[in-house]
Amino acid sequence: MKTTRRDIFKFAGGSALGVLFTPAPWRLITDTALWSENWPGIPRPARGEIRAKFTNCSLCTAGCAVRARCVGDQPVSLAGVRGGLCPFGVTGHHLPYHPARLRQGPVSEATAAVAEAIAKCGPDERVAVLDLRPGRTASWTARRAMAALKSGLYIAPAQSPVAVDLSKAKTVLSLGAPLVERWGTPANVFAARDGFRLIQAEPVESRTAALADLWLPIRPGSEEALALGLAGQLSTAETAQITGLTELQLASVGQTIASCRLSLVIDKNMSPAVVSLNVKLGNWGRTIGPRAEAPVPREWEKAAPVTELAAVPDRSVRVLLIDESAPGEYLPWDAIEKKLAPENPLVVVFAWSANGYGRHAKYVLPTPVYPEALDDIPSAIDSPAPCFRIAAPLVAAPAGVVNPSEFIASLAGLPPSDTLRERAAAIHQAGLGTLVTYADAKSVPVKDVKPDDFWKALNAGGCWVGQALPPANPQAGAATVRAATVRERLPRATDDLVVIATTPPAASLISPLFTKLYQESDLLLAPNCVALHPLDAARCGIAFGTHAILETPNGKWSVRVLTDSSVRPGVILAARPEMAGAQGKVVRA
Amino acid sequence: MTAPKKYGMSIDVDRCTGCGSCMVACAVENNIPPARPGANDRNGLTWIRVYKVDNGEDYPGKRSAFVPVLCQQCGEHTPCASVCPQQAVDVDPQTGVVGQMPERCLGCRYCMAACPYHARYFNWWDPRWPAGMEKTLNPDVAPRMRGVVEKCNFCHGRWHAAKEKAAAAGKTEIQPGDYVPACVEACPTGAIRFGDLNDPSNDLRHPDSFRLLEKLGTDPKIYYRSKRDWVRQAGQAARPVSPEKEASRG
Repeated sequence: MKTTRRDIFKFAGGSALGVLFTPAPWRLITDTALWSENWPGIPRPARGEIRAKFTNCSLCTAGCAVRARCVGDQPVSLAGVRGGLCPFGVTGHHLPYHPARLRQGPVSEATAAVAEAIAKCGPDERVAVLDLRPGRTASWTARRAMAALKSGLYIAPAQSPVAVDLSKAKTVLSLGAPLVERWGTPANVFAARDGFRLIQAEPVESRTAALADLWLPIRPGSEEALALGLAGQLSTAETAQITGLTELQLASVGQTIASCRLSLVIDKNMSPAVVSLNVKLGNWGRTIGPRAEAPVPREWEKAAPVTELAAVPDRSVRVLLIDESAPGEYLPWDAIEKKLAPENPLVVVFAWSANGYGRHAKYVLPTPVYPEALDDIPSAIDSPAPCFRIAAPLVAAPAGVVNPSEFIASLAGLPPSDTLRERAAAIHQAGLGTLVTYADAKSVPVKDVKPDDFWKALNAGGCWVGQALPPANPQAGAATVRAATVRERLPRATDDLVVIATTPPAASLISPLFTKLYQESDLLLAPNCVALHPLDAARCGIAFGTHAILETPNGKWSVRVLTDSSVRPGVILAARPEMAGAQGKVVRA
Repeated sequence: MTAPKKYGMSIDVDRCTGCGSCMVACAVENNIPPARPGANDRNGLTWIRVYKVDNGEDYPGKRSAFVPVLCQQCGEHTPCASVCPQQAVDVDPQTGVVGQMPERCLGCRYCMAACPYHARYFNWWDPRWPAGMEKTLNPDVAPRMRGVVEKCNFCHGRWHAAKEKAAAAGKTEIQPGDYVPACVEACPTGAIRFGDLNDPSNDLRHPDSFRLLEKLGTDPKIYYRSKRDWVRQAGQAARPVSPEKEASRG
């Protein structure tokens, strides 16, 4: 038989067709996927010995105990020891690698400029440190440094002198406190949550309001008036008019908290009006008491007093050093700016990124971020017993960063020292309280621990817990609040809307994985978004998802507008604290 | 030979605060990259996604709840497994977990179309992290390539680690506390619980619990709880979406 060229073509064509009916081409496609799975563009996780390290989260005052899973020395995941962590805590190990994180700054230039400005300070001009998270050992260093300077001033947000005990409460009335979001210690709050009835008074249906047993939709800014009304300092009719609640609702709430033997009233910062109400309800010494602080060495007590920003004379601060390295309460920049000297004030900010107060500063100096920074966390507002916890570094900080307390101490000529260790020694010397170690889940009296072991245990995520102060002075922190003052603080009735921020501010840096929560899903309000009630949006002529300009006394922002019928009409819900204000409007871009 | 398990979850909607810890913990554990600039809720990667549902009323009568939705690990007629032309989806008889093999996946997305829970996600972009953040990747999970579908597998890497730990201790069964998915570990309120549904000692399958889209008969292994009727009704509806958002998309 003679093979022709035609036969060869037929054979080749038939073979090609036949191969399609075999597994071979499909297998080839699968293998192609396998090869491309490992192409160099896809990062390969590092491998190594898996270890667990313990520390405490310093991203907020809760100071949750953390177990870090590490590959070698690199943390690859963080988990809570006494329950889960918030999303900020879960992703804390990403912060050192955030694209906006500062690594270098003009340190020597700033040092020279600050020294020169201090030398040129006039007799009425002050050098001030603004500490956003007071009560830390670093705060004590700043206070000592300011005491050593002739014109030094230590400024910090008001700290409530009281602490609450949620585990004893049977009814909790929350006046806008984000109890289940970022208030207190999550482990304490959720451990106690099943034991109390929660009444949330808030203008918008927040996440706390959504989980409350009863939500009271009050007018924005009327929380304090509600506290005064329940304390009998305002008439029921006037309270109803200010808060927008009915007299029946007010009577019912008043009866609920008065009849419950173990009630508790809270707000964001435990304001004097709320403390007074608790004292009046007989809660002092039961669910609320004085807040205690961990002991400090005796020689530290010659420190500068804590001054609130409002008490600082206007136009008096020549040099302002803002310590933003420990995330804390947000103070509006316009309130800070009023205190600066009229001519040539020097503002230096110690921060993780230039996104916060750094926008207004002459120098922004980079600091170690969590979990690079060595810092301690003061007792949380829901911790009646004092405690001392150290956020021990999990990774090394880069070379160009500065430690704010060392910088401030050197300005005042304080000798360099290991202040955290000195404080730990003072606590140990007092011999009170217990040491709790999470790695082995033990609790040992401090007097049974050697000083070196105490220090080592603290650096391995341990926690010292002291004894709560006796509730001797029921009026502590319960300053009298005048009804007239509260009326003055209420938002004015105008055509503008009231802008309120969603939850307490997070750190200036958050993990890039937060895009899962506000970009790849609609769980959180994105930083560039505001939410309005659909009726307000229609009144402003703005449709869902369109871009607009938010105008408030604090500034203007380009925002994307969302509509949400859980937002109170007359209110703009914003994600960023600097957007919040008593008046605001949204106009089409 | 060990007795087959049937791993499942119980999610108490009345305890969920919608904080999102489960979502970010899942992304950390499973090496899911941050969103690209063009990503949105339709093309993003969230193996577990918390939806906000409401009772449909206006302020101040509106009440909201948060419902975490992940792969429901269907036990009967698993829709994604039956449509996959590549056999990239399988149900592990030892654990009952519906697994996804990205290296076999062709990216045809039939499984996404078949999944009634919208709990499968397509990789539209190559996985990328900000410079330096690759160091924080979990060594037990390989990042997936662009062009494949991925989904929750109850943290399969953790199951392997628990098996290895048990084997090292000379045991054939893993201890219940040794295998916990990342979302369960991260939940601050304890709203998400995990365990073997065959184990009568746990109450994951509480008589009051409900499952999403029960009428489809897919026998999901995720059990939800809520005392609120409107939440239970929302669980029988299609994926919750904002009507305003849908309208804005045309």
